[in-house]
Amino acid sequence: MNSSNQKKRNFQIEAFKHKVVVDPKYADKTWKILEHAITEIYNHNASGLSFEELYRNAYNMVLHKFGEKLYSGLVGTMTLHLQEMAKTIEAAQGNLFLEELNRKWNDHNKALQMIRDILMYMDRTFIPSNRKTPVHELGLNLWRDNVIHSSKIQTRLLDTLLELIQKERTGEIINRGLMRNIIKMLMDLGSSVYQEDFEKHFLEVSADFYRAESQDFIECCDCGDYLKKAERRLNEEIERVSLYLDSKSETKITNVVEKEMIASHMLRLVHMDNSGLVNMLIDDKYEDLGRMYNLFRRVPNGLPTIRDVMTSHLRETGKQLVTDAEKLKDPVEFVQCLLNEKDKYDKIINLAFSNDKTFQNALNSSFEYFINLNPRSPEFISLFVDEKLRKGLKGVSEEDVETILDKVMMLFRYLQEKDVFEKYYKQHLAKRLLSGKTVSDDAERSLIVKLKTECGYQFTSKLEGMFTDMKTSQDTMQGFYAAYAAELGDSPTLVVQVLTTGSWPTQPSITCNLPAEMSALCEKFRSYYLGTHTGRRLSWQTNMGTADLKAIFGKGQKHELNVSTYQMCVLMLFNSADRLSYKEIEQATEIPSSDLRRCLQSLACVKGKNVLRKEPMSKDIGEEDAFFVNDKFTSKFYKVKIGTVVAQKESEPEKQETRQRVEEDRKPQIEAAIVRIMKSRRVLDHNNIIAEVTKQLQSRFLANPGEIKKRIESLIERDFLERDSSDRRLYRYLA
Amino acid sequence: MTITGTSEKAAYQALKASDWHLEGAFDAFYSQPQPKSYTDARRLEDLYNRYKDAYADMIMADGITLLCSDILVDHQDIVMLVLSWHMKAATMCEFSKQEFIGGLQSLGVDSIEKLREKIPFMRSELKDDQKFREIYNFAFGWAKEKGQKSLALDTAIGMWQLLFAEKHWPLVDHWCQFLQARHNKAISRDTWSQLLEFAKTVDPQLSNYDVDGAWPYLIDEFVEYLIENGIIQNGQLSDWTQKH
Repeated sequence: MNSSNQKKRNFQIEAFKHKVVVDPKYADKTWKILEHAITEIYNHNASGLSFEELYRNAYNMVLHKFGEKLYSGLVGTMTLHLQEMAKTIEAAQGNLFLEELNRKWNDHNKALQMIRDILMYMDRTFIPSNRKTPVHELGLNLWRDNVIHSSKIQTRLLDTLLELIQKERTGEIINRGLMRNIIKMLMDLGSSVYQEDFEKHFLEVSADFYRAESQDFIECCDCGDYLKKAERRLNEEIERVSLYLDSKSETKITNVVEKEMIASHMLRLVHMDNSGLVNMLIDDKYEDLGRMYNLFRRVPNGLPTIRDVMTSHLRETGKQLVTDAEKLKDPVEFVQCLLNEKDKYDKIINLAFSNDKTFQNALNSSFEYFINLNPRSPEFISLFVDEKLRKGLKGVSEEDVETILDKVMMLFRYLQEKDVFEKYYKQHLAKRLLSGKTVSDDAERSLIVKLKTECGYQFTSKLEGMFTDMKTSQDTMQGFYAAYAAELGDSPTLVVQVLTTGSWPTQPSITCNLPAEMSALCEKFRSYYLGTHTGRRLSWQTNMGTADLKAIFGKGQKHELNVSTYQMCVLMLFNSADRLSYKEIEQATEIPSSDLRRCLQSLACVKGKNVLRKEPMSKDIGEEDAFFVNDKFTSKFYKVKIGTVVAQKESEPEKQETRQRVEEDRKPQIEAAIVRIMKSRRVLDHNNIIAEVTKQLQSRFLANPGEIKKRIESLIERDFLERDSSDRRLYRYLA
Repeated sequence: MTITGTSEKAAYQALKASDWHLEGAFDAFYSQPQPKSYTDARRLEDLYNRYKDAYADMIMADGITLLCSDILVDHQDIVMLVLSWHMKAATMCEFSKQEFIGGLQSLGVDSIEKLREKIPFMRSELKDDQKFREIYNFAFGWAKEKGQKSLALDTAIGMWQLLFAEKHWPLVDHWCQFLQARHNKAISRDTWSQLLEFAKTVDPQLSNYDVDGAWPYLIDEFVEYLIENGIIQNGQLSDWTQKH
């Protein structure tokens, strides 16, 4: 309006006060256009359409409040088209079914995209505000309802898919790309579709399949082969999932395989005759064992099953080993067998069971169990070490020495009665040191250090004392010879080892009569030693010494004889007599009779070492027997070794004695533990005392509750403890 | 009155208080402190001198024999143990002057007749659980040799047979046989006192015997012995006499 001359006044534009009448047929007409376009799209005739025009039409409809008509129209027309497509798909024959389905799906997707683009305005405005399903999603739902869930297609689709999978499982090649597309389609339609229409059934059918297959296999395969087959199937399924199924199905299908092929047959496999777990262990079948481990770890209780069978087998073989009378004849052999067994299983656990700690523990507990079944194990282990340190380690490299000693330490750790081992070790060490028969001082020391690390200072302090004594004795001898050099020119050479009583294994000392040449020399040493060490006492241990004698026999044969001190005393007598009776020898030497008999036997009755002749020629020594020098004695070697101070497996009575001494030694240890505990706790009940004491002494030996009780009573007697007046199970410490 | 040795008046009171129930009267009577009767010091002195040994200032074996015949009691009668307990005697077969006089004073007697009258009362004390325990434990120290820590086995067996004749423990004979066969050593104080507990708490069928019950080792061994020899089978104490 032209308002140049008129008065200035505000004007407003008012809305029409009447309804705008739009062409009522406008909506219909517009819809028809769109409907036609959709049809064209589905007919692959989209090229002739104008996107801009269609968009505008849709836009207008929504704008003029015809969104509902548009939407419902869309639903209707799409449904019709989909129903037609469904018919085509249904009509497809055989193999073409899936292809047709796939093709139509692609078509629909393309169409849907275009339709959505055209209807984008509705998608963004009308649909959200009216809470309608968006176009794309709508398209998928309609596809699902009209095609996938159509009665003729639904079952057929599933059956076809499962059939193809079955074919592939039996070795046929299938079209994986097609499978992937179809499965992807199902996934796109929503996880519930995928699961309900496919996955659920897939898993059921697979379970049936594998159940049957595993049953067949297990009847005709041995364990190793079966496991190979199971592994292969498992890998196949994993591959299948990666190629054409939803990755979330992997765990589910592997669970099925694991359950049907492994879990259901676990026990039967493990216990299979001639090929089961035990056979694999015996034959060191690392690959099979590794496979079993990897497969069984996937199923509940799989590894415990393997572990339990391994443990009981190990305990059984171990038990047989330690109670095998044959093996027990040779202690070194016995221990070597134990070490071999340990090595074997270490290797199995390393190579096949991926160093699984629980298996290590099972191994350790089994060894601990059967090693302690044989009460002689501590003694035998000490003898093994003794053999190694005396000769077995000769020429072995330092590294290898360490390895062997570490292995011995490992066996040591399994022992419950470590104090028994200590006793024997001490005895054997004493013999080694005194006879000078140790291969390597370094090896000896190394072992002591390892024992100290394991058991603490107290365990090894006495052992170290023994080494110190040896060294000190060397120095003393040097001093002795330096001081008496002039006097001793012609005398026999004396080597003395001075042993500190507390450190060395106790022996009753019974001195015998030494030959005159020796006793004079010994006296000189005694006065030398006591001159520099006043206040000490020396007693000669004639049962532990050795001597080297130069001997000339009847026909002029010269030999050097290495004998024990006792043997020396006996032999020297023959320098002044040709014939001596047993009684005469006994009187002259004052050697105790049982030792004397053994001594004479070793001199007169052993082939190749019979420097003496006995009449009569019997094996036993009789009171009336007579002895002569064996003038006919011969030996290939110049040096003949007769005396033996080598450590041996103990005889029964010796064993009893040692065991008794060990028991005696334990009593004060138990008492000390009781007093220690009661001192800090003041009041404690019976069961708890037993438990605490046992725990405290565990590193040395297994305390017997009956013995602990006896010690408690002894302490009550001696007024260290008392029973509580109201509760007789309670003990009270008396300060 | 015959049993408790008390006066008619006290007896009447006790019975009245318990409504004329005999057992209740005993309970009531014993829970009261005993009225201390007057004892004549000179009479006690005379009595002591009657029994005193010729050479030592103590009553020894001869004196005790005389005492026993005076009060008409066999010297092996258990009532002598009770008497010794009252006297707090240190060792059996001898009483010091202090022990003798002190004991009679605490009993409230100063003559042979009064002592004789007290005998039923002393016997009745054995029926009381608490007192029996005290007497039993007293017996250990009293019966052992002076200066020894433990009680010789023979003496212990004698004492047990005496004591358990009163208390009726069915296993006492087996116990003594067991000790002679297996143990052959002196008995410690702990074992002695624990045996009474054992006899009181564990039934003769050993059904409530607890292996972890902190019983002395000897008693555990005894249980093993009973089971080994079939004396206790399936919780039944078989009749020993039937086997022998």
